[in-house]
Amino acid sequence: MYNNVRPQLGVPQFQPQLPTSSQPNVFGNAFNAAGSGLIRGGLGAYGEKIFGSSSEYVQSNITRYFSDPQYYFQVNDHYVKNKLKVVLFPFLHRGHWTRITEPVGGRLSYKPPIYDINAPDLYIPLMAFGTYVVLAGISLGLRGKFSPEALNWLFIKGMVGWCMQTALLKLTLLSLGSGEAPLLDIVAYAGYTFAGMSLAALGKIISGYSHYALMPWFCLCMGIFLVKTMKRVLFAEVRSYDSSKHHYLLLFIALAQFPLFMWLGNITVNWFI
Amino acid sequence: MEKEFKVPPVSFASVGNPAGQNLQNRRVPIPPFQPNSGIPFMSFDIGSAAVSTSSGPIYSGPGIGGGGSVNFDDEEPLLDELGIHPDQIWSKIRSVLNPFRVNHTVHKDSDLSGPILLYMAFCLFQLLAGKIQFGVILGWIVVSSIFLYVVFNMLAGRTGNLDLHTCTSVVGYSMLPVVIFSAISLFLPQGGFFGLAIAAVFVLWATRASTGLVVSLTDGGDEHRGLIAYACFLIYTLFSLLVIF
Repeated sequence: MYNNVRPQLGVPQFQPQLPTSSQPNVFGNAFNAAGSGLIRGGLGAYGEKIFGSSSEYVQSNITRYFSDPQYYFQVNDHYVKNKLKVVLFPFLHRGHWTRITEPVGGRLSYKPPIYDINAPDLYIPLMAFGTYVVLAGISLGLRGKFSPEALNWLFIKGMVGWCMQTALLKLTLLSLGSGEAPLLDIVAYAGYTFAGMSLAALGKIISGYSHYALMPWFCLCMGIFLVKTMKRVLFAEVRSYDSSKHHYLLLFIALAQFPLFMWLGNITVNWFI
Repeated sequence: MEKEFKVPPVSFASVGNPAGQNLQNRRVPIPPFQPNSGIPFMSFDIGSAAVSTSSGPIYSGPGIGGGGSVNFDDEEPLLDELGIHPDQIWSKIRSVLNPFRVNHTVHKDSDLSGPILLYMAFCLFQLLAGKIQFGVILGWIVVSSIFLYVVFNMLAGRTGNLDLHTCTSVVGYSMLPVVIFSAISLFLPQGGFFGLAIAAVFVLWATRASTGLVVSLTDGGDEHRGLIAYACFLIYTLFSLLVIF
Protein backbone atom coordinates (compact mmCIF):
# COMPACT_ATOMS: atom_id res chain seq x y z
CA MET A 1 0.00 0.00 0.00
CA TYR A 2 2.86 2.32 0.74
CA ASN A 3 4.39 1.65 -2.64
CA ASN A 4 1.50 3.49 -4.12
CA VAL A 5 2.11 6.50 -1.94
CA ARG A 6 5.81 6.92 -2.39
CA PRO A 7 6.20 8.03 -6.01
CA GLN A 8 3.65 10.72 -5.45
CA LEU A 9 5.46 12.32 -2.58
CA GLY A 10 7.79 14.20 -4.86
CA VAL A 11 7.24 17.44 -6.67
CA PRO A 12 3.53 17.27 -7.42
CA GLN A 13 2.85 17.81 -3.75
CA PHE A 14 4.02 21.39 -4.09
CA GLN A 15 2.22 22.53 -7.18
CA PRO A 16 0.05 25.54 -6.54
CA GLN A 17 -3.65 25.18 -7.11
CA LEU A 18 -4.26 26.96 -10.39
CA PRO A 19 -7.68 28.46 -11.02
CA THR A 20 -9.63 25.85 -12.84
CA SER A 21 -10.89 27.51 -15.96
CA SER A 22 -10.86 25.88 -19.31
CA GLN A 23 -9.55 28.93 -21.14
CA PRO A 24 -5.93 29.93 -20.73
CA ASN A 25 -5.98 33.15 -18.82
CA VAL A 26 -3.30 35.75 -18.56
CA PHE A 27 -3.03 35.73 -14.82
CA GLY A 28 -2.70 31.99 -14.72
CA ASN A 29 -0.06 31.91 -17.40
CA ALA A 30 2.10 34.47 -15.68
CA PHE A 31 1.97 32.67 -12.40
CA ASN A 32 2.43 29.33 -14.05
CA ALA A 33 5.58 30.35 -15.84
CA ALA A 34 7.19 32.08 -12.92
CA GLY A 35 5.93 29.88 -10.13
CA SER A 36 6.43 26.48 -11.53
CA GLY A 37 9.81 27.42 -12.86
CA LEU A 38 10.95 28.30 -9.41
CA ILE A 39 9.31 25.30 -7.90
CA ARG A 40 10.41 22.80 -10.46
CA GLY A 41 13.92 24.05 -10.66
CA GLY A 42 14.76 25.00 -7.15
CA LEU A 43 12.57 23.11 -4.84
CA GLY A 44 12.10 20.14 -7.07
CA ALA A 45 15.64 19.05 -6.65
CA TYR A 46 15.33 19.25 -2.91
CA GLY A 47 11.76 18.16 -2.77
CA GLU A 48 12.50 14.73 -4.09
CA LYS A 49 15.32 14.37 -1.65
CA ILE A 50 13.38 15.67 1.33
CA PHE A 51 10.26 13.75 0.66
CA GLY A 52 12.08 10.77 -0.63
CA SER A 53 14.17 10.39 2.45
CA SER A 54 11.40 11.27 4.83
CA SER A 55 9.03 8.86 3.20
CA GLU A 56 11.58 6.13 3.59
CA TYR A 57 11.96 7.05 7.22
CA VAL A 58 8.22 7.19 7.69
CA GLN A 59 7.71 3.98 5.82
CA SER A 60 10.28 2.02 7.75
CA ASN A 61 8.98 3.32 11.02
CA ILE A 62 5.39 2.75 10.07
CA THR A 63 6.06 -0.84 9.18
CA ARG A 64 7.79 -1.20 12.50
CA TYR A 65 4.85 0.10 14.49
CA PHE A 66 1.92 -0.75 12.28
CA SER A 67 1.97 -3.95 10.37
CA ASP A 68 0.36 -3.80 6.97
CA PRO A 69 -3.27 -2.77 7.56
CA GLN A 70 -4.39 -4.48 4.38
CA TYR A 71 -4.01 -7.81 6.14
CA TYR A 72 -6.73 -6.97 8.63
CA PHE A 73 -9.32 -6.24 6.00
CA GLN A 74 -9.15 -9.48 4.09
CA VAL A 75 -12.51 -10.67 5.29
CA ASN A 76 -15.66 -12.02 3.82
CA ASP A 77 -19.22 -12.60 4.99
CA HIS A 78 -18.56 -16.07 6.31
CA TYR A 79 -15.64 -14.94 8.43
CA VAL A 80 -17.57 -11.98 9.82
CA LYS A 81 -20.53 -14.09 10.87
CA ASN A 82 -18.44 -16.74 12.56
CA LYS A 83 -16.11 -14.28 14.22
CA LEU A 84 -19.05 -12.43 15.70
CA LYS A 85 -20.29 -15.70 17.12
CA VAL A 86 -16.87 -16.33 18.63
CA VAL A 87 -16.63 -12.84 20.13
CA LEU A 88 -20.11 -12.71 21.55
CA PHE A 89 -20.36 -16.30 22.79
CA PRO A 90 -16.77 -17.44 23.27
CA PHE A 91 -17.68 -20.44 25.39
CA LEU A 92 -19.44 -21.97 22.40
CA HIS A 93 -16.27 -22.06 20.35
CA ARG A 94 -15.32 -25.70 20.20
CA GLY A 95 -12.15 -25.45 18.16
CA HIS A 96 -8.73 -24.30 19.24
CA TRP A 97 -7.73 -20.69 19.70
CA THR A 98 -4.33 -20.60 18.11
CA ARG A 99 -3.66 -18.80 14.88
CA ILE A 100 -2.53 -20.77 11.90
CA THR A 101 0.93 -19.93 10.69
CA GLU A 102 2.33 -20.39 7.28
CA PRO A 103 5.88 -19.94 6.08
CA VAL A 104 6.06 -16.95 3.79
CA GLY A 105 9.37 -15.94 2.33
CA GLY A 106 11.40 -17.71 4.97
CA ARG A 107 9.57 -16.22 7.92
CA LEU A 108 6.56 -17.54 9.72
CA SER A 109 3.56 -15.35 9.30
CA TYR A 110 -0.05 -15.77 10.20
CA LYS A 111 -2.72 -16.62 7.72
CA PRO A 112 -5.13 -13.85 6.77
CA PRO A 113 -8.54 -13.74 8.40
CA ILE A 114 -10.37 -15.38 5.51
CA TYR A 115 -8.59 -18.63 6.19
CA ASP A 116 -8.32 -18.48 9.92
CA ILE A 117 -11.14 -17.79 12.31
CA ASN A 118 -8.77 -16.87 15.10
CA ALA A 119 -6.97 -14.14 13.22
CA PRO A 120 -7.86 -10.60 14.28
CA ASP A 121 -9.35 -8.23 11.75
CA LEU A 122 -10.07 -4.53 11.75
CA TYR A 123 -13.35 -4.53 9.87
CA ILE A 124 -15.47 -5.82 12.73
CA PRO A 125 -14.04 -3.43 15.33
CA LEU A 126 -14.51 -0.46 13.01
CA MET A 127 -18.10 -1.36 12.18
CA ALA A 128 -18.88 -2.25 15.76
CA PHE A 129 -17.56 1.11 16.89
CA GLY A 130 -19.72 2.87 14.33
CA THR A 131 -22.73 0.84 15.40
CA TYR A 132 -22.09 1.69 19.03
CA VAL A 133 -21.94 5.43 18.24
CA VAL A 134 -25.13 5.29 16.19
CA LEU A 135 -27.03 3.26 18.77
CA ALA A 136 -25.84 5.50 21.57
CA GLY A 137 -27.08 8.45 19.53
CA ILE A 138 -30.48 6.79 19.15
CA SER A 139 -30.72 6.12 22.87
CA LEU A 140 -29.79 9.72 23.63
CA GLY A 141 -32.40 10.88 21.16
CA LEU A 142 -35.13 8.78 22.73
CA ARG A 143 -34.35 10.52 25.99
CA GLY A 144 -34.56 13.88 24.27
CA LYS A 145 -30.92 14.84 24.62
CA PHE A 146 -29.71 14.38 21.08
CA SER A 147 -27.64 17.02 19.34
CA PRO A 148 -24.78 16.77 16.83
CA GLU A 149 -22.36 17.92 19.49
CA ALA A 150 -23.55 15.09 21.72
CA LEU A 151 -22.75 12.66 18.95
CA ASN A 152 -19.25 14.07 18.64
CA TRP A 153 -18.89 13.65 22.36
CA LEU A 154 -19.97 10.01 22.17
CA PHE A 155 -17.47 9.42 19.40
CA ILE A 156 -14.65 10.84 21.48
CA LYS A 157 -15.74 8.87 24.51
CA GLY A 158 -15.75 5.69 22.48
CA MET A 159 -12.31 6.40 21.10
CA VAL A 160 -11.00 7.00 24.60
CA GLY A 161 -12.52 3.71 25.69
CA TRP A 162 -10.89 1.94 22.76
CA CYS A 163 -7.54 3.48 23.58
CA MET A 164 -7.85 2.53 27.24
CA GLN A 165 -8.60 -1.06 26.33
CA THR A 166 -5.63 -1.10 23.95
CA ALA A 167 -3.43 0.36 26.65
CA LEU A 168 -4.60 -2.26 29.08
CA LEU A 169 -3.70 -5.11 26.76
CA LYS A 170 -0.43 -3.54 25.72
CA LEU A 171 0.62 -2.90 29.30
CA THR A 172 -0.16 -6.46 30.18
CA LEU A 173 2.09 -7.63 27.42
CA LEU A 174 4.82 -5.20 28.36
CA SER A 175 4.76 -6.15 32.00
CA LEU A 176 5.57 -9.69 31.04
CA GLY A 177 8.70 -8.55 29.36
CA SER A 178 7.84 -8.52 25.69
CA GLY A 179 5.47 -6.24 23.90
CA GLU A 180 6.19 -7.56 20.49
CA ALA A 181 2.73 -8.29 19.27
CA PRO A 182 1.93 -5.94 16.39
CA LEU A 183 0.08 -2.84 17.52
CA LEU A 184 -2.76 -3.32 15.08
CA ASP A 185 -3.38 -6.77 16.52
CA ILE A 186 -3.87 -5.24 19.95
CA VAL A 187 -6.06 -2.51 18.50
CA ALA A 188 -8.19 -5.16 16.81
CA TYR A 189 -8.59 -7.24 19.95
CA ALA A 190 -9.50 -4.13 21.90
CA GLY A 191 -12.06 -3.14 19.31
CA TYR A 192 -14.04 -6.33 19.68
CA THR A 193 -15.52 -4.97 22.90
CA PHE A 194 -17.69 -2.70 20.81
CA ALA A 195 -19.52 -5.67 19.34
CA GLY A 196 -20.83 -6.67 22.75
CA MET A 197 -21.27 -3.03 23.67
CA SER A 198 -23.50 -2.40 20.65
CA LEU A 199 -25.77 -5.29 21.55
CA ALA A 200 -26.02 -4.00 25.08
CA ALA A 201 -26.90 -0.53 23.75
CA LEU A 202 -29.52 -2.09 21.49
CA GLY A 203 -30.98 -3.87 24.47
CA LYS A 204 -31.11 -0.60 26.35
CA ILE A 205 -33.09 0.99 23.53
CA ILE A 206 -35.59 -1.83 23.32
CA SER A 207 -36.20 -2.19 27.03
CA GLY A 208 -34.55 -0.37 29.88
CA TYR A 209 -34.36 -3.36 32.19
CA SER A 210 -32.74 -5.77 29.79
CA HIS A 211 -29.73 -3.47 29.98
CA TYR A 212 -29.01 -4.67 33.52
CA ALA A 213 -28.93 -8.27 32.37
CA LEU A 214 -27.18 -7.87 29.05
CA MET A 215 -24.36 -5.68 30.28
CA PRO A 216 -22.76 -8.11 32.76
CA TRP A 217 -23.34 -10.93 30.31
CA PHE A 218 -21.37 -9.27 27.54
CA CYS A 219 -18.78 -8.14 30.04
CA LEU A 220 -18.22 -11.73 30.99
CA CYS A 221 -18.13 -12.89 27.40
CA MET A 222 -15.62 -10.24 26.43
CA GLY A 223 -13.53 -11.15 29.44
CA ILE A 224 -13.45 -14.80 28.45
CA PHE A 225 -12.65 -13.92 24.85
CA LEU A 226 -9.78 -11.66 25.83
CA VAL A 227 -8.39 -14.15 28.32
CA LYS A 228 -8.37 -16.95 25.79
CA THR A 229 -6.87 -14.75 23.10
CA MET A 230 -4.22 -13.17 25.26
CA LYS A 231 -3.22 -16.55 26.61
CA ARG A 232 -2.35 -17.64 23.11
CA VAL A 233 -0.67 -14.34 22.32
CA LEU A 234 1.37 -14.55 25.48
CA PHE A 235 2.40 -18.10 24.79
CA ALA A 236 3.51 -17.10 21.34
CA GLU A 237 5.51 -14.10 22.46
CA VAL A 238 6.96 -14.72 25.88
CA ARG A 239 9.86 -17.08 26.34
CA SER A 240 9.75 -18.00 29.99
CA TYR A 241 6.56 -19.38 31.35
CA ASP A 242 5.89 -17.82 34.71
CA SER A 243 2.62 -19.42 35.57
CA SER A 244 1.21 -17.48 38.47
CA LYS A 245 2.06 -14.04 37.11
CA HIS A 246 0.43 -14.92 33.80
CA HIS A 247 -2.72 -16.04 35.47
CA TYR A 248 -3.00 -13.01 37.70
CA LEU A 249 -2.60 -10.70 34.74
CA LEU A 250 -5.20 -12.56 32.73
CA LEU A 251 -7.59 -12.37 35.63
CA PHE A 252 -6.92 -8.67 35.91
CA ILE A 253 -7.76 -8.22 32.23
CA ALA A 254 -11.03 -10.03 32.69
CA LEU A 255 -11.96 -8.03 35.79
CA ALA A 256 -11.04 -4.71 34.18
CA GLN A 257 -13.72 -5.25 31.60
CA PHE A 258 -16.43 -4.50 34.13
CA PRO A 259 -15.59 -0.87 34.87
CA LEU A 260 -14.89 -0.27 31.19
CA PHE A 261 -18.24 -1.62 30.12
CA MET A 262 -20.04 0.27 32.83
CA TRP A 263 -18.37 3.48 31.78
CA LEU A 264 -19.05 3.00 28.08
CA GLY A 265 -22.51 1.64 28.63
CA ASN A 266 -23.60 4.63 30.61
CA ILE A 267 -24.57 6.70 27.63
CA THR A 268 -24.53 10.32 28.62
CA VAL A 269 -22.91 13.52 27.49
CA ASN A 270 -20.67 13.95 30.51
CA TRP A 271 -17.48 12.08 31.25
CA PHE A 272 -18.66 9.93 34.11
CA ILE A 273 -22.23 10.46 35.11
CA MET B 1 -15.03 83.15 16.41
CA GLU B 2 -16.27 80.90 13.70
CA LYS B 3 -13.95 78.76 11.67
CA GLU B 4 -14.80 78.70 8.08
CA PHE B 5 -14.45 75.42 6.28
CA LYS B 6 -15.76 74.23 3.04
CA VAL B 7 -18.85 72.17 3.42
CA PRO B 8 -19.56 70.31 0.24
CA PRO B 9 -23.09 71.19 -0.66
CA VAL B 10 -25.52 68.41 -1.28
CA SER B 11 -26.82 68.93 -4.75
CA PHE B 12 -29.10 66.66 -6.64
CA ALA B 13 -28.98 68.90 -9.68
CA SER B 14 -27.16 68.11 -12.90
CA VAL B 15 -23.39 68.05 -13.18
CA GLY B 16 -23.15 71.50 -14.68
CA ASN B 17 -23.86 73.11 -11.34
CA PRO B 18 -20.81 75.06 -10.20
CA ALA B 19 -21.39 73.87 -6.66
CA GLY B 20 -21.11 70.37 -7.92
CA GLN B 21 -17.49 70.96 -8.93
CA ASN B 22 -16.43 70.10 -5.43
CA LEU B 23 -18.10 66.79 -5.65
CA GLN B 24 -16.45 66.05 -8.93
CA ASN B 25 -13.05 66.85 -7.54
CA ARG B 26 -13.57 64.41 -4.78
CA ARG B 27 -14.57 61.27 -6.59
CA VAL B 28 -13.48 59.57 -9.77
CA PRO B 29 -16.09 59.86 -12.46
CA ILE B 30 -17.57 56.54 -13.42
CA PRO B 31 -17.67 55.95 -17.18
CA PRO B 32 -21.13 55.28 -18.51
CA PHE B 33 -22.03 51.66 -19.11
CA GLN B 34 -21.63 50.61 -22.74
CA PRO B 35 -22.73 47.07 -23.39
CA ASN B 36 -21.32 45.13 -26.31
CA SER B 37 -19.72 48.09 -28.00
CA GLY B 38 -16.59 46.14 -28.80
CA ILE B 39 -14.16 48.29 -26.88
CA PRO B 40 -11.26 46.33 -25.39
CA PHE B 41 -12.47 47.06 -21.89
CA MET B 42 -15.32 44.58 -22.28
CA SER B 43 -13.50 41.78 -24.01
CA PHE B 44 -11.35 40.33 -21.28
CA ASP B 45 -11.00 36.60 -20.86
CA ILE B 46 -13.17 35.24 -18.13
CA GLY B 47 -10.29 34.25 -15.90
CA SER B 48 -8.47 37.51 -15.92
CA ALA B 49 -11.66 39.48 -15.58
CA ALA B 50 -12.13 37.99 -12.14
CA VAL B 51 -8.68 39.14 -11.09
CA SER B 52 -8.39 42.41 -12.88
CA THR B 53 -11.15 44.05 -10.89
CA SER B 54 -8.86 44.04 -7.91
CA SER B 55 -5.42 44.27 -9.49
CA GLY B 56 -6.47 46.58 -12.22
CA PRO B 57 -4.16 47.89 -14.83
CA ILE B 58 -1.25 45.52 -14.29
CA TYR B 59 -2.73 42.66 -16.22
CA SER B 60 -5.07 44.57 -18.38
CA GLY B 61 -2.25 45.49 -20.75
CA PRO B 62 -1.63 42.03 -22.10
CA GLY B 63 -5.28 41.30 -21.56
CA ILE B 64 -6.38 43.89 -24.00
CA GLY B 65 -3.89 42.74 -26.57
CA GLY B 66 -4.48 39.05 -26.17
CA GLY B 67 -8.13 39.13 -25.29
CA GLY B 68 -9.29 41.10 -28.20
CA SER B 69 -10.01 38.01 -30.22
CA VAL B 70 -12.48 36.52 -27.74
CA ASN B 71 -15.52 38.60 -27.32
CA PHE B 72 -18.70 38.19 -25.47
CA ASP B 73 -20.56 36.07 -27.97
CA ASP B 74 -17.96 33.32 -28.25
CA GLU B 75 -17.76 32.54 -24.57
CA GLU B 76 -19.21 29.36 -23.21
CA PRO B 77 -22.40 29.48 -21.26
CA LEU B 78 -21.79 29.87 -17.58
CA LEU B 79 -23.13 26.49 -16.51
CA ASP B 80 -20.95 24.65 -19.02
CA GLU B 81 -17.97 26.65 -17.90
CA LEU B 82 -18.58 25.63 -14.31
CA GLY B 83 -19.10 22.02 -15.26
CA ILE B 84 -22.70 21.86 -14.09
CA HIS B 85 -24.98 19.96 -16.45
CA PRO B 86 -28.54 20.19 -15.19
CA ASP B 87 -29.92 17.45 -17.41
CA GLN B 88 -27.24 15.06 -16.24
CA ILE B 89 -27.96 15.93 -12.63
CA TRP B 90 -31.64 15.36 -13.18
CA SER B 91 -31.11 11.99 -14.83
CA LYS B 92 -28.85 10.89 -11.99
CA ILE B 93 -31.39 11.96 -9.40
CA ARG B 94 -34.10 10.13 -11.29
CA SER B 95 -31.98 7.00 -11.36
CA VAL B 96 -31.70 7.01 -7.57
CA LEU B 97 -35.45 7.49 -7.23
CA ASN B 98 -36.17 3.92 -8.18
CA PRO B 99 -35.07 1.85 -5.20
CA PHE B 100 -35.16 -1.49 -6.89
CA ARG B 101 -33.11 -0.97 -9.97
CA VAL B 102 -30.52 1.77 -9.95
CA ASN B 103 -29.35 2.72 -13.39
CA HIS B 104 -25.65 2.94 -12.84
CA THR B 105 -24.52 3.81 -16.37
CA VAL B 106 -25.70 7.35 -15.84
CA HIS B 107 -23.34 7.71 -12.88
CA LYS B 108 -20.24 6.82 -14.81
CA ASP B 109 -18.77 10.27 -14.70
CA SER B 110 -19.02 11.59 -11.22
CA ASP B 111 -19.79 15.17 -10.43
CA LEU B 112 -20.19 17.05 -7.22
CA SER B 113 -22.76 19.63 -8.19
CA GLY B 114 -25.71 17.28 -7.78
CA PRO B 115 -24.64 16.36 -4.26
CA ILE B 116 -24.25 20.03 -3.43
CA LEU B 117 -27.78 20.64 -4.66
CA LEU B 118 -29.10 17.78 -2.54
CA TYR B 119 -27.10 19.05 0.43
CA MET B 120 -28.70 22.47 0.07
CA ALA B 121 -32.14 20.92 -0.15
CA PHE B 122 -31.46 18.84 2.97
CA CYS B 123 -30.25 21.87 4.89
CA LEU B 124 -33.29 23.79 3.72
CA PHE B 125 -35.69 21.20 5.06
CA GLN B 126 -33.79 21.01 8.31
CA LEU B 127 -33.99 24.80 8.53
CA LEU B 128 -37.74 24.59 8.06
CA ALA B 129 -37.80 22.18 10.98
CA GLY B 130 -35.95 24.73 13.08
CA LYS B 131 -32.54 23.14 13.10
CA ILE B 132 -29.64 25.13 11.73
CA GLN B 133 -27.22 22.38 10.79
CA PHE B 134 -25.44 23.53 7.66
CA GLY B 135 -21.93 22.94 8.89
CA VAL B 136 -22.80 19.75 10.70
CA ILE B 137 -24.26 18.09 7.60
CA LEU B 138 -21.40 19.18 5.38
CA GLY B 139 -18.84 17.90 7.87
CA TRP B 140 -20.66 14.60 8.20
CA ILE B 141 -20.84 14.15 4.44
CA VAL B 142 -17.09 14.71 4.16
CA VAL B 143 -16.26 12.38 7.03
CA SER B 144 -18.59 9.65 5.87
CA SER B 145 -17.31 9.71 2.32
CA ILE B 146 -13.74 9.42 3.60
CA PHE B 147 -14.91 6.55 5.80
CA LEU B 148 -16.55 4.74 2.89
CA TYR B 149 -13.50 5.38 0.73
CA VAL B 150 -11.16 3.87 3.32
CA VAL B 151 -13.38 0.88 4.03
CA PHE B 152 -13.98 0.08 0.38
CA ASN B 153 -10.36 0.36 -0.66
CA MET B 154 -9.19 -1.69 2.28
CA LEU B 155 -11.73 -4.41 1.62
CA ALA B 156 -11.14 -4.56 -2.08
CA GLY B 157 -7.38 -4.53 -1.72
CA ARG B 158 -5.32 -4.19 -4.80
CA THR B 159 -8.18 -4.53 -7.20
CA GLY B 160 -10.21 -1.70 -5.74
CA ASN B 161 -10.33 1.54 -7.68
CA LEU B 162 -12.74 3.78 -5.90
CA ASP B 163 -11.48 7.33 -5.79
CA LEU B 164 -12.62 10.00 -3.40
CA HIS B 165 -14.46 12.06 -6.01
CA THR B 166 -16.61 9.13 -7.11
CA CYS B 167 -17.16 8.15 -3.51
CA THR B 168 -18.40 11.60 -2.52
CA SER B 169 -20.56 11.71 -5.62
CA VAL B 170 -22.18 8.37 -4.76
CA VAL B 171 -22.71 9.29 -1.10
CA GLY B 172 -24.18 12.62 -2.16
CA TYR B 173 -26.62 11.28 -4.70
CA SER B 174 -27.79 8.50 -2.44
CA MET B 175 -28.76 11.16 0.09
CA LEU B 176 -31.89 11.75 -1.94
CA PRO B 177 -34.05 9.39 0.16
CA VAL B 178 -32.85 11.14 3.31
CA VAL B 179 -33.76 14.50 1.79
CA ILE B 180 -37.24 13.19 0.98
CA PHE B 181 -37.50 11.83 4.51
CA SER B 182 -36.60 15.18 6.00
CA ALA B 183 -39.27 16.81 3.84
CA ILE B 184 -41.85 14.27 4.98
CA SER B 185 -40.86 14.48 8.62
CA LEU B 186 -41.90 18.11 8.68
CA PHE B 187 -45.45 16.83 8.78
CA LEU B 188 -44.93 13.98 11.23
CA PRO B 189 -44.96 14.13 15.03
CA GLN B 190 -41.52 14.71 16.44
CA GLY B 191 -39.43 11.89 17.87
CA GLY B 192 -40.54 8.53 19.11
CA PHE B 193 -40.70 5.11 17.59
CA PHE B 194 -42.91 6.15 14.69
CA GLY B 195 -40.13 8.28 13.28
CA LEU B 196 -37.72 5.39 13.65
CA ALA B 197 -39.97 3.06 11.71
CA ILE B 198 -40.41 5.44 8.80
CA ALA B 199 -36.71 6.25 8.89
CA ALA B 200 -35.88 2.57 8.50
CA VAL B 201 -37.62 2.48 5.12
CA PHE B 202 -35.74 5.46 3.76
CA VAL B 203 -32.42 4.37 5.20
CA LEU B 204 -32.77 0.98 3.56
CA TRP B 205 -33.61 2.68 0.29
CA ALA B 206 -30.51 4.87 0.52
CA THR B 207 -28.35 1.91 1.48
CA ARG B 208 -29.55 -0.11 -1.43
CA ALA B 209 -28.96 2.73 -3.87
CA SER B 210 -25.48 3.56 -2.65
CA THR B 211 -24.33 -0.05 -2.41
CA GLY B 212 -25.56 -0.75 -5.92
CA LEU B 213 -23.77 2.30 -7.25
CA VAL B 214 -20.50 1.62 -5.46
CA VAL B 215 -20.38 -2.01 -6.46
CA SER B 216 -21.24 -1.40 -10.08
CA LEU B 217 -19.00 1.62 -10.58
CA THR B 218 -15.82 -0.01 -9.31
CA ASP B 219 -13.96 -3.25 -9.77
CA GLY B 220 -13.27 -5.03 -6.59
CA GLY B 221 -16.52 -4.72 -4.73
CA ASP B 222 -18.53 -7.73 -5.83
CA GLU B 223 -17.67 -10.25 -3.19
CA HIS B 224 -17.91 -7.72 -0.36
CA ARG B 225 -21.37 -6.49 -1.13
CA GLY B 226 -22.80 -7.18 2.30
CA LEU B 227 -19.87 -5.62 4.10
CA ILE B 228 -20.06 -2.44 2.07
CA ALA B 229 -23.81 -2.37 2.50
CA TYR B 230 -23.38 -2.32 6.26
CA ALA B 231 -20.98 0.61 6.07
CA CYS B 232 -23.46 2.55 3.92
CA PHE B 233 -26.25 1.60 6.30
CA LEU B 234 -24.33 3.15 9.19
CA ILE B 235 -23.74 6.34 7.24
CA TYR B 236 -27.38 6.89 6.33
CA THR B 237 -28.63 5.94 9.77
CA LEU B 238 -26.44 8.72 11.08
CA PHE B 239 -28.05 11.24 8.75
CA SER B 240 -31.52 10.05 9.57
CA LEU B 241 -30.74 10.64 13.25
CA LEU B 242 -30.32 14.29 12.40
CA VAL B 243 -33.74 14.30 10.83
CA ILE B 244 -35.62 12.42 13.50
CA PHE B 245 -34.25 14.01 16.64
